[in-house]
Amino acid sequence: MSQQTIFLPWQEGSAKSITFIVTKDCQLACKYCYLVGKNSKERMPFEIAKGAIDYILHHEEIFPDESVVWEFIGGEPFLEIELIDKICDYLKIEMYRLNHHWFNSYRFSFSTNGINYHEPRVQEFIHKNINHLSIGITIDGTQKKHDLNRIYKGNGKGTYEDVVKNIPLWLRDFPYGGTKVTVSSKDIPYIKDSILHLFSLGIHEVSINCVFENVWQEGDDILFEDQLCDLADEIIDLGLNEDYQCSFFNDQIGKPLDPTLFNQNWCGAGKMLSIDATGNFYPCTRFAQYSLRDKHAWIVGNIYDGIDQNKLRPFLTLDRLTQSPDKCIKCEVASGCAWCQGENYDAADTPTIYQRSTAICKMHKARVRANNYYWNKLHRKLGIEEEKTSKHKESMCSEYNSYC
Amino acid sequence: MKQNLSVQIVFPSYELPKEYLTVIGQIDHTIITESTTPTLSSKNSIYVHSGLTNLPQFDFLKDLNVVIRCKFSEIIHGGHLIASVFPFVRRLNIVMTDIEVINGEDLDGYNNTLNSLSDVILKEYVRGHFVQTNLLTDRFMLDEMNNCNAGIETITLAPDGKFYICPAFYFDSGDYGLGDSCFNVGDLENGLHIPNIRLYDLEHAPLCRICDAYQCKRCVWLNRKTTYEVNTPSHEQCVITHIERNASRSLLKRIQEKTTLLPNKVIKEINYLDPFDIKPNY
Amino acid sequence: MKRIVGSVTEQEKKEIQQLFERRNGLNELAKILNADNDALYQKLIQDMGETATKFQQWWDCMYEKYKWEKAENGNWEINFNTNEILLVE
Repeated sequence: MSQQTIFLPWQEGSAKSITFIVTKDCQLACKYCYLVGKNSKERMPFEIAKGAIDYILHHEEIFPDESVVWEFIGGEPFLEIELIDKICDYLKIEMYRLNHHWFNSYRFSFSTNGINYHEPRVQEFIHKNINHLSIGITIDGTQKKHDLNRIYKGNGKGTYEDVVKNIPLWLRDFPYGGTKVTVSSKDIPYIKDSILHLFSLGIHEVSINCVFENVWQEGDDILFEDQLCDLADEIIDLGLNEDYQCSFFNDQIGKPLDPTLFNQNWCGAGKMLSIDATGNFYPCTRFAQYSLRDKHAWIVGNIYDGIDQNKLRPFLTLDRLTQSPDKCIKCEVASGCAWCQGENYDAADTPTIYQRSTAICKMHKARVRANNYYWNKLHRKLGIEEEKTSKHKESMCSEYNSYC
Repeated sequence: MKQNLSVQIVFPSYELPKEYLTVIGQIDHTIITESTTPTLSSKNSIYVHSGLTNLPQFDFLKDLNVVIRCKFSEIIHGGHLIASVFPFVRRLNIVMTDIEVINGEDLDGYNNTLNSLSDVILKEYVRGHFVQTNLLTDRFMLDEMNNCNAGIETITLAPDGKFYICPAFYFDSGDYGLGDSCFNVGDLENGLHIPNIRLYDLEHAPLCRICDAYQCKRCVWLNRKTTYEVNTPSHEQCVITHIERNASRSLLKRIQEKTTLLPNKVIKEINYLDPFDIKPNY
Repeated sequence: MKRIVGSVTEQEKKEIQQLFERRNGLNELAKILNADNDALYQKLIQDMGETATKFQQWWDCMYEKYKWEKAENGNWEINFNTNEILLVE
């Protein structure tokens, strides 16, 4: 027998997510971007990152999580690849030098617009850290949909062509790489074609969500449902459900939630930690000032004084029922309806995280209707297949189950 | 007065003009006044004493309701001064003005002070003087939360003609984060409007609704200052009130041993000082 | 071709997963550490050897325990999600 090889899964769920906001600059000016305070001036000095790392690694007692995801965001993080490289080197050395338990279980994570993915400095970094990387490139779908929102700052030109050329390189590095698609009002008509396009590019996992902000127009829910039903037809008719996943379709969503059994918060804000260029800590990046339209930043400490645990208490005690209006508690299709704590805070009538925004309500309901359509159709197809070829029953069921 | 409304009037440290007193005299009310202020003497008045230093010199009239506002360190080091007041008053409320700066090292001292105060209260009970104090005896009488309930049961009208959740939100001009902490909730012209009023309600306070330190004032202003949320108490707040709760439990048992009072009352033993440690994990 | 030839317990999976992660961490650390940082470098070299040994010992020990099917020019893989052992030929 030769040397054994091992799959490369990652234990999500038991990992602390620690985010460095390395820059507030980006080449793009996406129309739906929630980062209202982007600028080209605020770049994280290495000394601030070092201070944050020193504080965190020397306080293992308040970070007992089994694993850690060191996340780098912007703006566009890869604009600061040299800084990131220096930070990652420091992290590796310090985790090892201190015999920190995270040395045995860490990842570096990036969500990038993909524009400079191919550049030598980025590629060099990737190959240097390949076993500890998770990189997602955001591509919104077809050129038409992508370029509708994801445009260059300044000239307003679409960025699709510069992103799509890097997709093969990215999939070579990360064959199981997934992408994140954001849907806002104007690009609803392009959803079906966009998802299918992403599948055709070789991206097997597409996470997709509607923006949480209150942008939805009259009739958007009907258009949205139509798009998703058309998408369901294509996926099932072409058998794409066997190899590809689109997060819109999930058989766990669209059910009422028993208040006594399902009271957990949706969002992980407060369990994460985010650090900005001045060394302030936030419960999530969405609580930093550059992410907020109408509210003040929710700072929970800094690298000099440490974390003020009292400022995290509201996040760690937050549950579904306390923050939800009656209509959500009694909702017949409550499961799977998401919220963003930062958007809740930004949209609330007072500075609180305890007022759930329901701007997404009608879009969730439309998604549930389409989702039901998808599963009914798939069940029917599976039933027919079962009758046709009973010998394949077991494998089809197994496929179905693994998809859930 | 309609809808069972009661009015408490906070008097200033100077004498009010006669016309004010005339208007005030036309309604049922309670006066809250500094102990040094020349004012109408009334059994319904609440006298607020700042600090402990001149407490022994103060001439307490029998059966007064007295409030002492002082720093946490004063309570720890001046327990004997507080104890000297119990024989003379009907009720003594002690309000800590700096609970947010307490650290772990002070907590043993606080426990010791409460035990010393308990000794004096026990003597008073044995001699038939059932003095009340928020720190130690309120918990005996309660089977559910008895919080301040500012915003739910009470509202403050300030000299600027605007409504505030409580006086602290009017007087406070600090910026503790998330913007101005001095915010009003309406005025006389446009009426009262309390956005997110449910957050002042116990059912919307995830920690407090599972807590049995019923004597806690659950100060929403302090919550806002220390945790940014009116419905979430700080760790220090919870620990302090649980030390009081547990001291009440000990005092109750001693009173039951020495008198025939409260024979069936039970405060159960618990093994935490902060309900955060026992919050449900959904 | 891959096929399942056995499985290990959750605890056993955790042991090899930690060694696997550590080995990867040491390999990537080796790219940036040099002899200038003598003490840490020496620690790393020793650690790499020890971790590689423990890694191999785990497979040897598990084979002794479970007697999985093996093949000439084949190798085993472990699926960390399912704890299954696969024979790859």
